Amino acid sequence: MKITKQAQREARQLFRSCLANGVLDEARVREAVSLLAELKPHGYVGILTRLHRLVKLDVAKRTVLVENAVPTTPEQAANLQARLEKQYGAGLQISYGVNPALIGGLRIQVGSDLYDGSVKTRLEKLQQSF
Amino acid sequence: MDKLGIRWIELLAQTISFSFVLLVLWKLAYKPIFHMLEARREKIAEGIANAEKIKAELAKTEAARQKILADAGDLANKIIAEARAAAARVSEVETQKAVTAAEQILIKAREAAAQERAATLAVLKREVGRLVVQTSMTVTGKILTPVDQNRLAEETQQQIG
Repeated sequence: MKITKQAQREARQLFRSCLANGVLDEARVREAVSLLAELKPHGYVGILTRLHRLVKLDVAKRTVLVENAVPTTPEQAANLQARLEKQYGAGLQISYGVNPALIGGLRIQVGSDLYDGSVKTRLEKLQQSF
Repeated sequence: MDKLGIRWIELLAQTISFSFVLLVLWKLAYKPIFHMLEARREKIAEGIANAEKIKAELAKTEAARQKILADAGDLANKIIAEARAAAARVSEVETQKAVTAAEQILIKAREAAAQERAATLAVLKREVGRLVVQTSMTVTGKILTPVDQNRLAEETQQQIG
């Protein structure tokens, strides 16, 4: 489906209006979508499609997956959250997991960014260097 | 004269008859004989001259033959020398070709040996690396203390900024 430039522009404006202090407000998004579905302005399907994509990208950008070889301590989690919010801003959805295959160190994925300091990756790089 | 028995008339007659006989003999006998002898002498001289001429021609022919033989010998020697030189040149060229081919074969053999050695080394290196990494993976998890884990986690966090 082709989305017109007008619909893209309106979707961007709508998306910006859903931000509260630079963070996407879920309530505002719900309200905006309900309003669009109710009023059905010209090209509203395109606007909704584009808005959906923007929201999806923002959620993905603010979703953080932290893998640790051993369970992450509360201190480490707090420290990590502070660093991530300093770098990416507030409103991050951080989830922690334990992956013994990493052997040691962390593997942090923020959107499309990846920070991998695990021993496993280091050993794999060493193996590739051979 | 009478005392001597000479009688002029008889003497004259005999003289005349002798002269006549002499004349007749000269005309009819001696002259043809002399002509024949002269002809024979001339023929003999001509034969001798011809023989000399033939001898000279023979000598000339012999000299020409000797010259032709000498020339032929020289030509043959020249051809043989040229053939030897050509054979030597061909032999030299063939030798050079053989040497070049041998050198090429040696170079290729060395390159093949070097490539094989490099490939073997690479395989060996990969295998050693795999074993090192496998051993490290097996051992490292067991020997990392909580302090080490914290340090590693901190190192990763520092990558963020």
